[in-house]
Amino acid sequence: MTTILDVKNVTKLYDGEVALDGLSVELQVNEYLSLLGPSGSGKSTLLRVIAGFEMSDAGDIHLAGESVAGVPAHKRGIGFVSQGFALFPHISVFDNVAFGLRHREDDPVRDEGDVARRVNEMLDLVGLADLGDRGINQISGGQKQRVALARTLVADPKIILLDEPLGALDANLRARMRIELRRIRQQLGITFMHVTGNEQEALAMGDRVAVLDNGRLAQVADPDTVYNQPASARVARFLNCYNMFEGRAGDDKQFCVGDASFPYPSPQDASIGPGTYCVRFDKIRVAPATAAPRPGEAGVRATFITSEYSGPSITYFFEGQGNKVLEVEYHLSHRQPEEFSPGSEYSLLWSPGDALVYS
Amino acid sequence: MENRPILRSALALYTALFIGFLYAPFVVLGILSFQSGPEGGPQFPITEWSTYWYEHIFGLTPPSRVAPLPIGETLVRSLTLAFTTMVTSTVLGTMTAQAFRRRFKGSGFVFYLVVLGMIVPGVLVGLGIALVANNLGISRAWWGTAFVAHVVYTFPFAFLVMLAIFNRFDKSVEEAAWSLGVPPMRTFRKVTFPLIFPGVLSSMLFAFTLSYDEFPRTLFAAGADLTLPLAIYGTFAVEIHPNLFAFGVLTTLFSFSLLTVYGILMSISIHRAKKVAIQEEIE
Amino acid sequence: MEEARRRIQGGSGVSAVAGVAAEKKDPRARRITALLVAPGIIWMVLFLVVPMLMMVYVSFWTQKTFTIEPTLTLNSWIAFFSSETYFGALLRTIRIWLIVLAATFFLGYPTALFIGLFIKNKTIQTIVLVLCVVPFWTSFLIRVLAWRPMLGKEGAVNIVLQKIGLISQPIEVLLFTEFSVVIGMTQIYVVFMVGPIAFMLSRIDPSLIEAARDLGASTWRIFRTIIFPLSLPGVVVGAIFVSVMVLGEFATSAALSGRKVNLLGNIIVTQVGSLKWAFAAVVGVMLTAVMAIVVAALLRLADLRKEL
Repeated sequence: MTTILDVKNVTKLYDGEVALDGLSVELQVNEYLSLLGPSGSGKSTLLRVIAGFEMSDAGDIHLAGESVAGVPAHKRGIGFVSQGFALFPHISVFDNVAFGLRHREDDPVRDEGDVARRVNEMLDLVGLADLGDRGINQISGGQKQRVALARTLVADPKIILLDEPLGALDANLRARMRIELRRIRQQLGITFMHVTGNEQEALAMGDRVAVLDNGRLAQVADPDTVYNQPASARVARFLNCYNMFEGRAGDDKQFCVGDASFPYPSPQDASIGPGTYCVRFDKIRVAPATAAPRPGEAGVRATFITSEYSGPSITYFFEGQGNKVLEVEYHLSHRQPEEFSPGSEYSLLWSPGDALVYS
Repeated sequence: MENRPILRSALALYTALFIGFLYAPFVVLGILSFQSGPEGGPQFPITEWSTYWYEHIFGLTPPSRVAPLPIGETLVRSLTLAFTTMVTSTVLGTMTAQAFRRRFKGSGFVFYLVVLGMIVPGVLVGLGIALVANNLGISRAWWGTAFVAHVVYTFPFAFLVMLAIFNRFDKSVEEAAWSLGVPPMRTFRKVTFPLIFPGVLSSMLFAFTLSYDEFPRTLFAAGADLTLPLAIYGTFAVEIHPNLFAFGVLTTLFSFSLLTVYGILMSISIHRAKKVAIQEEIE
Repeated sequence: MEEARRRIQGGSGVSAVAGVAAEKKDPRARRITALLVAPGIIWMVLFLVVPMLMMVYVSFWTQKTFTIEPTLTLNSWIAFFSSETYFGALLRTIRIWLIVLAATFFLGYPTALFIGLFIKNKTIQTIVLVLCVVPFWTSFLIRVLAWRPMLGKEGAVNIVLQKIGLISQPIEVLLFTEFSVVIGMTQIYVVFMVGPIAFMLSRIDPSLIEAARDLGASTWRIFRTIIFPLSLPGVVVGAIFVSVMVLGEFATSAALSGRKVNLLGNIIVTQVGSLKWAFAAVVGVMLTAVMAIVVAALLRLADLRKEL
């Protein structure tokens, strides 16, 4: 494996506010890295700094072993696809894709036949073969996304940065574009860095997932590790699939949350606290309030509010102590949906080994 | 607010009256331009309807005691001056506004320095430039001292128009071009400029209109060869005749016909865009 | 600045270092900015600032019969303030300015209200605005002159008033008085008031007014508490336009006052005509001072740079 992009200790300020705080990340050749972060975490800023649209205030960025300090954006050879697609509205789809080939400073393609061949090839690849003559305002959102991608791919960049590329599309289209993107990537073998605020997208697309928090990397790992073993409570929160309880270490080797107390997941965790106790939505089972827990199970009492059906799974919403909303997810391939009556009390139970505790 | 019918009608009526007020002079111009000539004066009543004064403007009447309006030369000068002023101030305005897209030290100072050009009364700019020219021994001319005075006036307008345009401009298309390897200057030519062109056009229109009719700055700065407004000013120092009114009517008609052509072109292009959009929906 | 910024950053190690780096970053972009603004700055300094300074300087020169000499003296200034005519012209200029400013505001605001707030169709809005602007393509001097046959003793207004029997004798004070000057100026400059106000009004979010109405606010109250304050920057811009042009006026008064109403502008023109440059410069400096006070006062009402 060779490192193609090496970001070291990059810091960026906006009006004295820290957007990137000494952030480091590496990208391997032909890797797909998802960068997950909530809005304001600095993820877009990182991409803009790498692309050369913004100057970092400190730190180094090396591209294929060479520093890009002082290298303007148009000489970096980094592709960039922004959320709004940023197509050139005054020229046709074909000319949009041909734009870089014709007008770039290094090695422009002078032969129009050559341009046409490469552009058409690329339009084919993204499935827009017949739309070259269309104006930008005459194509749909998903098609715009493909044009933006084709325009970037045709220039053959070293890496491609995707800034929330699917954010402007509706859910249906987003799922399709994810598959499309993966197919294109397999066909071309290009290095991607994909920024998103959507945890599912991040987990689905990335070979590795980097979680950004307050201008720093909170975790970089493969999707499975990030999903099952978030490095911190904050990472768990970004993943948006954990019930989180703030509490402290109790006297009896238990983690205390208000009146309730839970056993620690494992003996090494004992005495962590004050901290956060996390249970994933799909690790909880719902039992009648009167039912006795199985041996060793931990649990809380909560009132059922409502449920939400989403096809492969169903999410139940409960209200626990202190108006805290607790979610339980049933994957319907494993479990049967159940009927709960709103306003009634139930026990939410889980096995302590499935929980995570962070200080 | 639109659901207050009485208030709405009252304001509509008022606005109609207001526009009537703006156009009242043109009604008078229109009527009096058909005064009999050459003895009929620039006042009511009309002694006899005639097109004498229109013929007079084009030199089609036998020589009389009323000198022909010096329109030919002065009109050419005014148009030339307006054109060069338009180009210069739009270039300056676009450059300065482009610089303002980045924050920089002293931007407040530059902003007010430029805006000062439209705030200082014209007569003072004319006076100041005349004083400087006199002391440096530069002779004043419409294409020199008056030209720079005009740009001082129109540049701020062009700047403000372009500033507003750039404020609404989506920078991401430029970044997209850079990331495709296209250098900034070529990006400006191929992407930015075509996209801001409507703004450039309106700033040009502004500058042209202001310069063409400019009078107080030109008065002291123009020197011996007169521009059109100066020539008109010269006539009312002596005695005015209805030929001036006939000229006013002609310029107004000319403006309206230009506007009509522009309006038709615009509606055609809008119509075409709509048609395309409808086709899209059918597909 | 830099000091303050560092204090805000609260001494976090990384941030403080970065703050220094930020100051000297990107020299290329700064050079481009400098190149872009330089021509404009040079133009304005050479052809606006220098001439204005020259005017101040010349106002202290010695006036000979047909020439001026760079021997410094206060004579022109003393002549200005000791002359009833000239000081009177200053007061008259201010008076006419105030009347025209008020007239353009009260005449123009309802129209701006209608265009900006009541016409929702952008096309119609543009058409009405263009209708207001078209007269500007006809020389304003000709437009001003058209008031003579309107207001004269045998003018259109008197004829109409006599026809409908409102008056038996023609009114003579309509033309060649301050009244005709005010009418002429108002008609020419009122559009400069309407435009900016209509622009600001058209930017008001209609849901704001809806919400106020839902809360039971009366039309007048909505106007006073929402519409007018939001249109204020437009009023300020319009007032600056009108003030600047009226204070420097001389053509309208020359055309419509029969040389009876002398404004500061008229005096400058007459003095230059008789080669009294030093004296013209004094009047120019006085006019500049009045201008500066007026504009500064108006700018206190709204920060224009923010409104763009």
